[in-house]
Amino acid sequence: MRIYAEGLVFSALAVFALWGAYKIPAAYPGETWAGIVPFSAALLLGTLSVIMLVGAAGQPVDPADIPENPATGKIIGLFLIALVYQYSFRLFGYVLPTALVAPVVLALFGMRHSIGLLASVVLCPLVFYVIFFKLLGVFPPHGEIFDLLDWIGG
Amino acid sequence: MEIFPALLSVITDPTLLFAIVLAAVVGMVVGAIPGLTASAAIAMLLPITFYMPPMFALAFLYVIGKSGRYGGSIAAILFNTPGTAASAATQIDGYPLARAGKAGKAMKVATISSIIGDLIGDTLLVAGVGFIASIALKLGPPETFAIYFAAFVVIGSVIGKSIVKGLASAVLGILVAMIGFDPISGAQRYTFGLFDLSNGIGLVPLMIGVFVMGEVFAQIEQRSTLTDEVEENESSGNDNALSWKEYKPCLPHTLRGGLIGAGIGVLPGLGSAIAAFISYGEGKRRAKNPEKWGKGALEGVAAPEAANNAVSGPSMAPLLTLGIPGSTIGAILIGVFQIHGIQVGPTLFLTQKDLVYQLFACGMLGIIAYGVIGYFGASKVGQLILKIPTNVLYPVIFLTAFVAAYSAQGSMFDVTVMTVAGFASYLMRKYDFNVAAFVISFVLAKGAEETFRQSLLMSDNGALVFVARPIALAFLILGLTTMALRMRSIVKERRIVLKEHGDD
Repeated sequence: MRIYAEGLVFSALAVFALWGAYKIPAAYPGETWAGIVPFSAALLLGTLSVIMLVGAAGQPVDPADIPENPATGKIIGLFLIALVYQYSFRLFGYVLPTALVAPVVLALFGMRHSIGLLASVVLCPLVFYVIFFKLLGVFPPHGEIFDLLDWIGG
Repeated sequence: MEIFPALLSVITDPTLLFAIVLAAVVGMVVGAIPGLTASAAIAMLLPITFYMPPMFALAFLYVIGKSGRYGGSIAAILFNTPGTAASAATQIDGYPLARAGKAGKAMKVATISSIIGDLIGDTLLVAGVGFIASIALKLGPPETFAIYFAAFVVIGSVIGKSIVKGLASAVLGILVAMIGFDPISGAQRYTFGLFDLSNGIGLVPLMIGVFVMGEVFAQIEQRSTLTDEVEENESSGNDNALSWKEYKPCLPHTLRGGLIGAGIGVLPGLGSAIAAFISYGEGKRRAKNPEKWGKGALEGVAAPEAANNAVSGPSMAPLLTLGIPGSTIGAILIGVFQIHGIQVGPTLFLTQKDLVYQLFACGMLGIIAYGVIGYFGASKVGQLILKIPTNVLYPVIFLTAFVAAYSAQGSMFDVTVMTVAGFASYLMRKYDFNVAAFVISFVLAKGAEETFRQSLLMSDNGALVFVARPIALAFLILGLTTMALRMRSIVKERRIVLKEHGDD
């Protein structure tokens, strides 16, 4: 079951890569086609995914060969937090999203100390801001909707 | 001979010495933390090096890589948890020694063997790299492409349990590298009209995602499935002194391990873990006391430690002379060269020879630095690791990954790349795909494509140019033979397993 799933995912990736290579414009006379390597790689990926599927076909189908993972919820949760966190930089700048996400991630990793969680709201954005945006001089991402730095006057 | 003036210039530069000592400490601590690797630390610190002088940045990250390999042995011996994959072989004899109250003795053997192994690797690197570079300068595009091809096949097929999954990972790395403008014709590839994709996928955010964010996902899974995180050695013994009489039997294993590690280090993608296990197996086979190996033999610590550290230096040879990283650390170091506008490859020895030898000198001084700190303070580092709360450490690493990915170019798209790459690398590791093959192939792909297309342009017979030139043909055969041998060994292993199950 698991090898089937892996084979299918890679088949889909190969088809997508072949379609992408097909869209690359043809070469001018005397030049090599810019799609030659992507096309060859996509073809090879397709071949490898077929080998995976053929290998899976030779094995008995057992839905139980994908073991239950007690951490699935936490992993997906962390990935969603990561997606929302990185996107919120564009909307609210660096400081506010970091202040909100820091205690959530700490709690997800098992931190239960309430004072520690509260402290992270201030300390995490402050420490990262000082190191990266003040000391190293990186220009912070500006929030399109609201930026706490504008409000603080930083 | 270039190494001596380089050593002198580094020794007389207090800022470089500071970078070396700091890197030795950072690498040791990071390597000793189970789950964290030197690759992760280097990837995370990579954007910061943009704000440092090139030599300081290179020395700092290169020594972290060396020291991190050694640091893995601290966790392996003291906590029965290898800090890095390379130190898993050290654990076999290291932890029984610690249980017997000889943790300090085992650490000293590990430290001395690491220093000797690493110095063997670096000496061979310094002696041979100029020669390799002079040969590399004479290679044409077909030969260079054939070397790339051999590297792809070796990386994809030798590491991991499945050749198909290894090769699929390598091909995926090539496809991801193809995103963006074609450097030769300017045609857009896999951009789908999105402006952000037109410049391609950045090496730095990809590395941070794969090595740092991927590990954070793996850690949250591990925390949910494991009950005790670290098994602390509770032995009350204190037989920690090491005499010459005790180390003397270890010396042949150390020297052999150093040579094995150096040999494996030159081959792209194989890495420290394979070197350590081969050295351990070879050491046990030749040992006068093989019955003691696995139960707490000092030689069983010396052999793998010398080998896994000896990989470090020679793995820089293909990186610096051909632009082919021999390890994941090498792949990340390419990012440092890129950030500072330094082109790796054979011409590096013509344009930046002093910088190359200064880097080697920093590496050698780094070995001495982590050796001295480790010999006298490894147990202190072990105690420090126990005090680091992982439920704070990994959230902090999570937050650092975002700001580090952003800092590289001030690009929000890089942060998105890092996030997606992190989750994808976690899935790849979980389903036994080969992350090292993916990353190294990503780094190699552009150079391989360029030489492939140059070869086709200069050829009158199309792809036959690779067969018509003997050196190119030799490398193509080398790659295919390696894959065939690997397939044979996998089939052999499966037959043994099936036979054992049949006997049961």
